[in-house]
Amino acid sequence: MNLWVYTFRRLLYVIPVLLGVCLIIYLLFNVVAGDPTHILLGKHATAKQMAELRHELGLDRHWFMQYLDLVKSAFTFDFGRSWSTKQLISSMISEGAIPSLTLTVPGFFISTICAVSLSLLVSFYRGGLFDKFTILICISLMSIPSLAYILFGQYFFAYKLGMFEISGYDFGFPHFIPYIQLPVLIWITLTIGPDLRFYRTVVLDEVYQDYVRTARAKGLGEKLILFKHVLKNAMIPIVTYVVIQIPFLILGALLIESFFGIPGLGGITLNAINSSDFPVIRAMTILSAVAYIIFGVITDILYTVVDPRVRLN
Amino acid sequence: MENVQSNSFATTEIKELKSKSLWRHAFETLLRDKTAVVSLFTVGVYALIALLTAFGFLAADWAAEVGPSYQSPSTEFLFGTDIFGRSVVAKTLKGTQVAMSIGLSTAVLSAVIGVFLGSIAGYYGGKIDEIIVWFYNTFSSIPSIMLLVAITFILGKGLVAVYLALGLTSWVGLCRLIRGEVIRHKDREYVHAASAIGGGDFRKLFKHILPNVLHIVIINFSLQFQVAIKAEVILSYLGLGVQGQPSWGTMIDDAKLELARGVWWQLGAATFAMFGVVLTLNLLGDALRDALDPKLKGK
Amino acid sequence: MKKFLPLALLLSLVVSLTACTKKETSNIKELHLTISAKVKGMDPIYANDVYSSNEVARVYEGLLEYHYLKRPYTLVPNLAEAMPIVSADGLTYTFKLRKGVMFHNDAAFDNGKGRELTAEDFVYSIKRLADPKLQALGWWLLDGKVKGLNEWRAKFADLTKVDYTEEVEGIKALDRYTIQFQLAKPFPQFLYSLAMPFTFAVAKEVVTKYGKEFINHPVGTGPFILPVFKQSNKITYTKNPAFRKKLYPSDASAEFKHLLKDAGKPLPFVDKVVVDILVESQPRWLNFQKGRIDYIVIPKDNFDSAVIPGKGITDELAKKGISLLVTPSLDVTYTAYNHDRELFRNLKLRQAMSAAYDPAQSNTLFYNNNALPAQSVVPPGIAGNISGYKNPFHGPNLELAKKLLAEAGYPEGKGLPEITYDCPSSTVSRQIGEFFKKQMAQIGVKVKVINNPWPELQKKIKNRTVMMYGIAWGADYPDAENFLQLLYGPNTSPGANGSGYNNEEFNALYKTAAVMQDSPQRTALYEKMNRIVAEQVPWVFGVHRQSFVLQHSWLKNYISADFNAGQAQYLNIDLTKKKDMTSKL
Repeated sequence: MNLWVYTFRRLLYVIPVLLGVCLIIYLLFNVVAGDPTHILLGKHATAKQMAELRHELGLDRHWFMQYLDLVKSAFTFDFGRSWSTKQLISSMISEGAIPSLTLTVPGFFISTICAVSLSLLVSFYRGGLFDKFTILICISLMSIPSLAYILFGQYFFAYKLGMFEISGYDFGFPHFIPYIQLPVLIWITLTIGPDLRFYRTVVLDEVYQDYVRTARAKGLGEKLILFKHVLKNAMIPIVTYVVIQIPFLILGALLIESFFGIPGLGGITLNAINSSDFPVIRAMTILSAVAYIIFGVITDILYTVVDPRVRLN
Repeated sequence: MENVQSNSFATTEIKELKSKSLWRHAFETLLRDKTAVVSLFTVGVYALIALLTAFGFLAADWAAEVGPSYQSPSTEFLFGTDIFGRSVVAKTLKGTQVAMSIGLSTAVLSAVIGVFLGSIAGYYGGKIDEIIVWFYNTFSSIPSIMLLVAITFILGKGLVAVYLALGLTSWVGLCRLIRGEVIRHKDREYVHAASAIGGGDFRKLFKHILPNVLHIVIINFSLQFQVAIKAEVILSYLGLGVQGQPSWGTMIDDAKLELARGVWWQLGAATFAMFGVVLTLNLLGDALRDALDPKLKGK
Repeated sequence: MKKFLPLALLLSLVVSLTACTKKETSNIKELHLTISAKVKGMDPIYANDVYSSNEVARVYEGLLEYHYLKRPYTLVPNLAEAMPIVSADGLTYTFKLRKGVMFHNDAAFDNGKGRELTAEDFVYSIKRLADPKLQALGWWLLDGKVKGLNEWRAKFADLTKVDYTEEVEGIKALDRYTIQFQLAKPFPQFLYSLAMPFTFAVAKEVVTKYGKEFINHPVGTGPFILPVFKQSNKITYTKNPAFRKKLYPSDASAEFKHLLKDAGKPLPFVDKVVVDILVESQPRWLNFQKGRIDYIVIPKDNFDSAVIPGKGITDELAKKGISLLVTPSLDVTYTAYNHDRELFRNLKLRQAMSAAYDPAQSNTLFYNNNALPAQSVVPPGIAGNISGYKNPFHGPNLELAKKLLAEAGYPEGKGLPEITYDCPSSTVSRQIGEFFKKQMAQIGVKVKVINNPWPELQKKIKNRTVMMYGIAWGADYPDAENFLQLLYGPNTSPGANGSGYNNEEFNALYKTAAVMQDSPQRTALYEKMNRIVAEQVPWVFGVHRQSFVLQHSWLKNYISADFNAGQAQYLNIDLTKKKDMTSKL
């Protein structure tokens, strides 16, 4: 199959998935959860006002029209206004994306580089004490809930030791840097464990392949094999794993953002959940689903570029 | 790269010949692994504590006031007391019951859904496969935190809602794996042999194919178990967690008001308890993978 | 090992970034505040929560305000030149506006220069509150009270466009500086509503220019300027250089005499107000201790978690120059019964549960023993509260509770279904719920605590699907009517009466008192109603809370108020002291 044909077909498959996502979101948030009038009108609302508002918001229209609106918003990114803050959701998202990315991108970048490098190192010493010890550390890091890291990190490192800012955020480079240091460190602590474990498995998978044996038989040094051959081949699953994580970076970090006062999308989502602000919850869900789907397509296409046999299936 | 395919063929050929002894072999490998034995033992201890608290032999009086509010750890109060002067040790023990029940129910639920949908999709293929694949692709595109929120909105609050919410959102990974494995297996000779002697679809699926993919289910089970225990903390933080009895999540959540004034023992006790079980489940999962996954055998 | 070079580089980068900490040296007076919830935009008509209304009131102003240093709360003119002339029948109020009050500069005005405030601006602003298309959250305040306003609202409800030029009889600008209100019926609380941010003055040009984005473009006459409101976690206001001549008050109630050092000086004192929005209490608390925030309001239900128990503050805090301010607040916490349920029409059951509940202990656990156990609905500090009154069904009185429960038909709780108790999902609400459960267990009543997100709880209460729920009410204005309305039958949900309590005698008294001007007769009626509900136990009464504020030594003129809109202009910072003290933190 030609690459372009494959790409086209893969893109075509996005449509039913997107429709399905909208359907699930619609069913979950419009049908089951949905009367916004209490949120919007506050403690003194009257029945008449509530009815007026329902009409104003178009909630008394046919369900199919409401579903269509949802589908449309997935393409136009016009999500209307928040119920609780009355802000334009699209501008909330575009403003919130920057702080989120300044937190997640450095965290992701450092964590990935550290994890890949360490995975090669532990594969080099595979089965040895260093390997076992590193894995144990990884699993230990993963076994502590994120909330505990955040509470303790903020209290101990930022407050007691005064090494970091306790909370806050300033827009613009480099003003935000002091504020994101501790959050980024916590992010790395949270992600490096699973990352390293995954990359180690990937590298080990390659290490036991026949071509490595052949190379070894040819008398090539272990280091050379590891860095030249193994890493090259392991790059496919590594890149896949990296790309598939990108959409989650946009979403930000729910808990970290709200504890460190970072005005990002994670905090917006959390606020929306706490105030049952369904348009925002819907928008964030659609946004992340769209990102997830798009990056899924990118991964698949990258994969076929590297390994054309995949296209045959 | 050309080596990939030929290699896997070679090993699977051998594997099927020794399929009977596979489980025994795996069990022996597991017993030889010291970490695995210790992990298994630790998980057993946690399970025992959970059972004892569930039947009221242990920490039945967790709600009783044993001392003043916020006593720091001492010989009298091993892990101090909470705001109501309740023993943090008793709460942590009682929390074990909640944690283990959440882990178990989530793992079971996700295994049941994942295996069922995955094997049907893989075995029948065609339209059924397409629909199931579409469904899980759709489902997995939605961030699980949103699904959790929505499901608890629908089901209301409480332990059952937590079980269902976590179970219903964690089956996709297993489903994918099972589908792939079943597709791989269904064209094997032994399955054809089974149809030749007149085995029905269900017989083939359950008697012949599933035992061959069971190791995936077991590995996945131990992973889901610990993921669910950790997820309970997030649910508690969002106010969607367990109500009316102590859980590690609510104890950690309490700490967000307590830690700033130096009350660290609730956070400490709950984190420590959770650390123990999640760590051992992870180690156990790794050991199980080593013992059960034929692909890794011999490394 | 070349591969590890980037890793090493990155790690060293992180470390070096850590090393550079921010330095704070400034000679401008900055006031640092923190709030715990997102601000819902800067439009006065939507400012229905305390956080938003406080932010709105930094930029916008109303005709009246509460005297900063007087208790009981006293209204004084703000944008009005003097208190209004009231007609003999109490239905017509005539205000004279202050002259020369200017709006902030904004692109919406000619040449971008703010113009003078006129009477028409108030007519427009109050019509906006009634605009059916805007769904203002403050409409309840004037609903049915101003002559012609409801008709105006109804007329445009079904039309596509609202015509502001159409006159409303009840709100007229008699000339450039005179505004006259005519009420549809006696509404003794009317003047309070003119001190609430809902009725603050906005400029028509600005509303027209920004349309729906008006919430992000606050342009008022107030002491501080915010050019654009952003949904960030930090709001920074600057001093309004063209603020009219407004002086710090020269008279005060006895308890505030010590705050008169700045008397007669022009307002505002600070150059900048920085508001940090921090949802979580840990960072708020830690930032305060580091001196990054000038004062911190300790959540009312959360004293015990924030400060070491015992009456005062710890030596450690005292050494840092931090002081604690405890002020009674006009509120009441309660656990309401849903009176739709047959079960709770059983008076003895209600009384039994009330007698089993120990507010004193909840006071110790949650309010640092500083709250007052509530005997009935009206808090001390306003007319209608009966000082020294003891509710006969007040707990803890387990003997009485058990006796009443038996009389109710459920000896030792036998035959009683499990009672659900709904509350908000915050950690403290959950703990309060657990406490209630424990208390009821003493007499054999089984309670199940259910946590809900705030809107969910509101919805459940309005839909009447709750059995019992724990909640609190804070005063909108200092009048017992604001509390008693919570139990007035016709106000049943979706109105403010969430419990659905309906008592003929009480309703009749309320109806009479609601249209009376403040007088000993009205106070007598208020007290009578207060007594009725005490004995009828429509709720299990909790406590009247106190507000706890910790403040740093450099913050001057701070007092804690129930209605603190506009407070920032009175606050002052002692810069030399701040420099001294922050070095010690």
